[in-house]
Amino acid sequence: MTFEPIQIAWTLLGLFIVFNVGLLLTSTVRKIGARVGKRRGIRFFQPHIDLIKNYSFRTNFSHGIMFYLAPVFRLTGGIGIFVFMPIIYGSAHFSNFSFAGDAILIMYFIFFGTLGMALGAGEGAMPFSAIGISRGLSQVTAAEIPLVLAFLAVFIQNNSFSITEIVAAQQGGFLNWTMFTNPIATITAMLAFLGAMMRSPFDIVLAPQEIPVGPPTEFHSSFLGVLSTNRAIFPIAKTILYINLFFGGATNWPVLILKAFLLYMWSVVVGTVFPRFRTEQSIRWFMKYPLILGILSILVLQLG
Amino acid sequence: MDFGLVAVVVGFLLILIGIWGILTQKNIVKIVIGFSIFDTGLHAIMVGIGYLKGRTAPILDSAVSPADALTSIVDPVPQALVLTAIVIGLGVTALMLAYVVRLYDYRKSLDISSYEDLKW
Amino acid sequence: MVDSILLNPIYIIGIGLGTSFILGFFKSGRFQAHPSAMHSERIKTAPWVLMIGALTVMTFISAEWLWSFLFNGQLPQQIYTAGFEPPFSINLLMGRNEAFFTLMVNLVGLLSGLYLLDKFKEMGTHALSVYLVLIMGLNGIIMTRDIFNLFVFLEIASIATAGLIVMTSDVKALSAGFKYMIATGLISGFLLIGIIFAYYFGGSLNIDSLAEANLTTVQGGVFAVFLIVVSLLLELKPFPANGWGIDAYEASPVGINAVISSASAGATYYVLSKVLIITDAKWYAVTAVVGIITFLGSNLMGIKQTNAKRMLGYSSVGQVGLLLVILGLSEQLGNSFKFIIFGIMMSHYLAKAGLFWLVGIVKTGILKDWGILRKKPVLVFFMGTFIFALLGLPPFPSFFAKWTLVLTLSAAGLNLWVGLILFGSLIEAVYLFRWFGYVLKLDADKERSLSTPFYRTFPVWLFGLLSYYIGYVASVMVPGGETLGMFYLPLAFVGFLFIIDRYLPVWVKNTLSMAAMALYGWYYMAGLSEFRMLFAIIFIGGGIVTMIAGYAKSGKRVGFYPFVVMMYIGLGGLLLSENILQFFISWELMTLGSYVLIIRGKKSMPHALSYMMFSLGGAFLILAGFGLAFAGSGVSSISLDILKNVTRYSGLIYTFLAIGFMTKTAVIGLHIWLPGAHAEAESDVSPMVSAILLKAGMFGLVVLMLAMGSQSLGGVSLPYLLGWLGAITALLGNLMAAFQEDAKRLLAYSSVGQLGYVVFAMAFMSHLGWLTALAFALNHFVFKALLFLAIGGVVMRTKTKTMYEMGGLIKRMPLSFISVLIGIIALSGLPPLTGFAGKWLSYNAVIEKGWYFQGFLVSIAGLVAFLYCFRLIHVIFLGQPKDKFKNIKEAPIAMLIPQYILIGVIMLFSLMPNMVLKPIGEFLVQYFPDGALQWDGGTAVSSLGRWSGVAIMNITIGIFGTILIWLLFMSRKAVKVKQFNIFYSGEAPSRPELTHYGYNFFAPYKKAVGFLVQPLVTRFWDGIADILHSISDFVRRLYNGNGQMYAFQVILFVVVFSIFTIG
Repeated sequence: MTFEPIQIAWTLLGLFIVFNVGLLLTSTVRKIGARVGKRRGIRFFQPHIDLIKNYSFRTNFSHGIMFYLAPVFRLTGGIGIFVFMPIIYGSAHFSNFSFAGDAILIMYFIFFGTLGMALGAGEGAMPFSAIGISRGLSQVTAAEIPLVLAFLAVFIQNNSFSITEIVAAQQGGFLNWTMFTNPIATITAMLAFLGAMMRSPFDIVLAPQEIPVGPPTEFHSSFLGVLSTNRAIFPIAKTILYINLFFGGATNWPVLILKAFLLYMWSVVVGTVFPRFRTEQSIRWFMKYPLILGILSILVLQLG
Repeated sequence: MDFGLVAVVVGFLLILIGIWGILTQKNIVKIVIGFSIFDTGLHAIMVGIGYLKGRTAPILDSAVSPADALTSIVDPVPQALVLTAIVIGLGVTALMLAYVVRLYDYRKSLDISSYEDLKW
Repeated sequence: MVDSILLNPIYIIGIGLGTSFILGFFKSGRFQAHPSAMHSERIKTAPWVLMIGALTVMTFISAEWLWSFLFNGQLPQQIYTAGFEPPFSINLLMGRNEAFFTLMVNLVGLLSGLYLLDKFKEMGTHALSVYLVLIMGLNGIIMTRDIFNLFVFLEIASIATAGLIVMTSDVKALSAGFKYMIATGLISGFLLIGIIFAYYFGGSLNIDSLAEANLTTVQGGVFAVFLIVVSLLLELKPFPANGWGIDAYEASPVGINAVISSASAGATYYVLSKVLIITDAKWYAVTAVVGIITFLGSNLMGIKQTNAKRMLGYSSVGQVGLLLVILGLSEQLGNSFKFIIFGIMMSHYLAKAGLFWLVGIVKTGILKDWGILRKKPVLVFFMGTFIFALLGLPPFPSFFAKWTLVLTLSAAGLNLWVGLILFGSLIEAVYLFRWFGYVLKLDADKERSLSTPFYRTFPVWLFGLLSYYIGYVASVMVPGGETLGMFYLPLAFVGFLFIIDRYLPVWVKNTLSMAAMALYGWYYMAGLSEFRMLFAIIFIGGGIVTMIAGYAKSGKRVGFYPFVVMMYIGLGGLLLSENILQFFISWELMTLGSYVLIIRGKKSMPHALSYMMFSLGGAFLILAGFGLAFAGSGVSSISLDILKNVTRYSGLIYTFLAIGFMTKTAVIGLHIWLPGAHAEAESDVSPMVSAILLKAGMFGLVVLMLAMGSQSLGGVSLPYLLGWLGAITALLGNLMAAFQEDAKRLLAYSSVGQLGYVVFAMAFMSHLGWLTALAFALNHFVFKALLFLAIGGVVMRTKTKTMYEMGGLIKRMPLSFISVLIGIIALSGLPPLTGFAGKWLSYNAVIEKGWYFQGFLVSIAGLVAFLYCFRLIHVIFLGQPKDKFKNIKEAPIAMLIPQYILIGVIMLFSLMPNMVLKPIGEFLVQYFPDGALQWDGGTAVSSLGRWSGVAIMNITIGIFGTILIWLLFMSRKAVKVKQFNIFYSGEAPSRPELTHYGYNFFAPYKKAVGFLVQPLVTRFWDGIADILHSISDFVRRLYNGNGQMYAFQVILFVVVFSIFTIG
């Protein structure tokens, strides 16, 4: 596939859609949460307003270079995942820059943002930030353990790293989805998914009550704006990866948004039901059932 | 009776007595004596081995003419060796006694177990 | 001296005896007959000069004869006494061997006589005569062909030895001398009985006539042979009936020790070899067995010693044991026998005399007080020379001898012997290197001075230099020696560096060394191709880049540059090697050089020792592997190609070599030396040993695997095992790195993990696997050098390696921060930097090969790498700065330049991975044609996926740049805040260091998975060491210091020996 400049425009359009979907999903989820709690909740476009507000503030201080770079790394990571992934199967316009790499690239690019974020918060020099990062890194690497296995299972099953090829193999009816052709891997991946979504029971990283100055609150104004932008894009981008690998991908935008919503809700539902783990508990948890399931998913493929 | 055999047997007995003395006596002078006995045993064996029944000492004098020396004297070599061995044994014994004197000067003790400074 | 008249060798005896007689006419000096006697009265120099004169003439006669034998075709000459021919008289023989051995005895006698000048003046003329008689006796032992005469000379030698001891004024020495007399008295008694029976049954005292009499076929003759052999063996102090000998070593004055160890052992050994001809094959075998027991037992005793003289005594006895092994196996060794004996004997002779002389110069036997020797660096140099020579490291004669020994024994199928000899050598290395470590590292007593008069240092110098010369001679004689020319010029440069070492400042030597390495690379390496070229770039190119950091040092840095260059010569030599000899020499040179570099670190002493032990163990495995390959290939060639033609033992050879090479790559189980060695090394040494040196092991694996392919042992595929081993190493290495508080240890453990990746990927034995391995290796070289240099710079400024003591250094050392940032991104394999290449390739290789679970472990290892990477950068550079580092400076420019060169390399590779990987892939196709990567411009296409380094880089930079500009625009008015402005409202907290979160950074992670990194391996090896030490400590209690016990051991030895031989 050769690169055409017009590709940039299409990618930006896709990015814009995803960005808005992400913001709306955030508000929707919060609204559902509020309604469950018998409150009215926020307006649907409240995240948009917050974002505009943040970008409108002018800050008068910075903690140093890394403090600048952190949000940049973070958002680059989020957008990067998006742009290296084909969004809509069969659409030449929404294949983004997927010619540059494959699923492995996405797997590793996820950490690009994480690293930058951690570094920036580190330069903020608040000890609690460092504690948050330590917990976050520990937990996310633990969650990745079953995830790697689940992804490996999908790669082995399709004998390919190419997301486009993996989606192609799942076309022609929902029974062809990895979810049904390789249920164990899908379950493993969905368990690992929880760990990466920063929701209960795996949200001690943010620990909003106990540590009032965790990584996100360290940043303000436009720094926070950039981070909020990422919080809109990044989860959706990651969700799209799951849709592509396990749930048949999407051939048009409505299907994509629907699937993204459902997947997103999965972590929300679990988060509302289960209490929070301590960090070492969550690490141990990932090393139990998800790990066993992950190994099983590969064994099934190897023996079957 | 074969004196040669007797000398050899007695020699071995002396050697055993000597070794017994060296290994069991605590007094270093007695150890040196044991060593002398050991040496004497050695010399007896050497002489005994060279002894031939009915022959005389390997000295050419009026009693033994050079002509019949080959048939009338015992083998001279062991006798020569034994002389050398005795001299060496004397030297060794003397040196050992010198050691005993010097050791006694230092510790005023003749017990071998007083001299175990270097070990392991 | 073509037509010169050779002096009759009888003059050696005559002059010795005559002069000692004349010495009796001089005023005797005070003989300290009583302990209260003072050392007031000293004799004049004249009698000493007379003795030296006599020894000089004796030496000259031997030398003259040896010269004639070697160069003038002189024939051996019999010397008859009393005008009769044997058997009616005593005859002496002067042949090539006799000339050689008497020269050895006389030379060390002469030098020790020189050395003992001061001691002799104290001891008086009696001592001079006794000493001369001792040397004369040893000459007689060597030359005589009459067995009774031999007894006489033996007695003279041992009486003289005891006589010299009795003249000391130390009760310990006296008691040792007395024990010595009891034991030797008994032994010579047994010898005498043996001789008389030999005469009785063999009818002669002449050794040659006795040999014709076939005594072993006669009933009583066997008894004679038994007594003669057992008593001669006992003279050589076999383990365990040798307490009397060891005590004598400890008790005698050092110059005399040198004679006992070098000359007596040599002479007595020669006697045994001379007398064994009256026996048959069985007695040779018995000798070999006694020898190996002695070699192993004595060296085992050595490891628990704390006194230099006693330790050297054990070592001497051990070396004689090794000589006995060789003598016993002379039949099997065939033509190589003489060369092997020559090499081992010469090394022992030169080294042991030299070491004993050094003991006298240092004037203390306590090993831990030896740091004082550092006051004379030249003597340290020679001490190293002697220790390396003793252990059989190149370029010393024993190296070539041991090499030939192993190859010949292997070819004869005597693999058990090879194993035992190498094991014994390893034990010997433990105590000798520990000692050398004390010398290099332990604090010296500042009060004491080191007196080094010329007459004491001259012998050391002479024997030290002779070791090199004889080493050269041996190297020419060894098969394949003609191919060693490639080392001459580079090693000559090392020699040059040694000479100028103490005079030139560091920048001159640094420049010279870099230039020399550049030339070395240019002249020797330019013609290399493929793997060898690739490694040459890492070794030599990388070496030069890391050496730039050397400019940051000031002063002279004595003892650094020769070893750096030696290490790189070794590394380069590996690449140039065409035969196993060149390869093995290079391997040892590299080990030696790096050992000295590593031990230079402040707290490196124990780590350098364990590095050396693992390296030597590995080297011995490699040697054993080469030996088996030499035997198993069926062609008697030493070319490296024999590995391709191995028909026997292939699994075993593969295992030995792989384990040997993996001691260098520090695979799990063999890794415990690495963290300490790399972490405690100096800041510019760490990148060398970590980023570059470890690749030597990888190159070894490349050579091995290309030549032998896949082998299996006991039905298990060895590459499969290696794959698992590599994967587990990767995971555990990285996990351990995540829990370190010490920055350099963290990096060191990270190297363990990274090399685990490499081993894992190589084990695939596929195109993609090897491409992965090489990508990992190149990448690891760049980022690990970068990180170690950057952290080294930080450590240089902060004077601490403990991370949590630092913090917030980004403000003070921004350039170092950028280096570390780039380094960890490359390390953790994040796109867009070069590390991702390896990750992507490894996933491809894993799926293709089907090693999913191993691949999974490696992926997890990658995740863990992320943890320690972050910890490294955060705890050092981010968070709250400490007060004490408020005014710290950026790392020196000389440290930063190589870092930025390396960053340039990383950026280049990241942008154009095809530039590197494509050519590698092209030559890999020859070996692994299937599954090659396709290149579509800058995009790599495998059967599974695609990866375009250029596109990823450009897109990432595009996004990154846009957001950055946007953010800068939005917050353009921001000003920097001070440290405590925000959270503490401008008030500095009373203990600001407590606000830095850095200690036990991943506490929850450790809680959850810490059980995986229990130091089990360390405990295992510590356990082995403990067991060895305990055995040593237990067995050495045999030597309880009681003379009767020693005598009993001698008797017991005779009894046991008789049961096993004639019983």
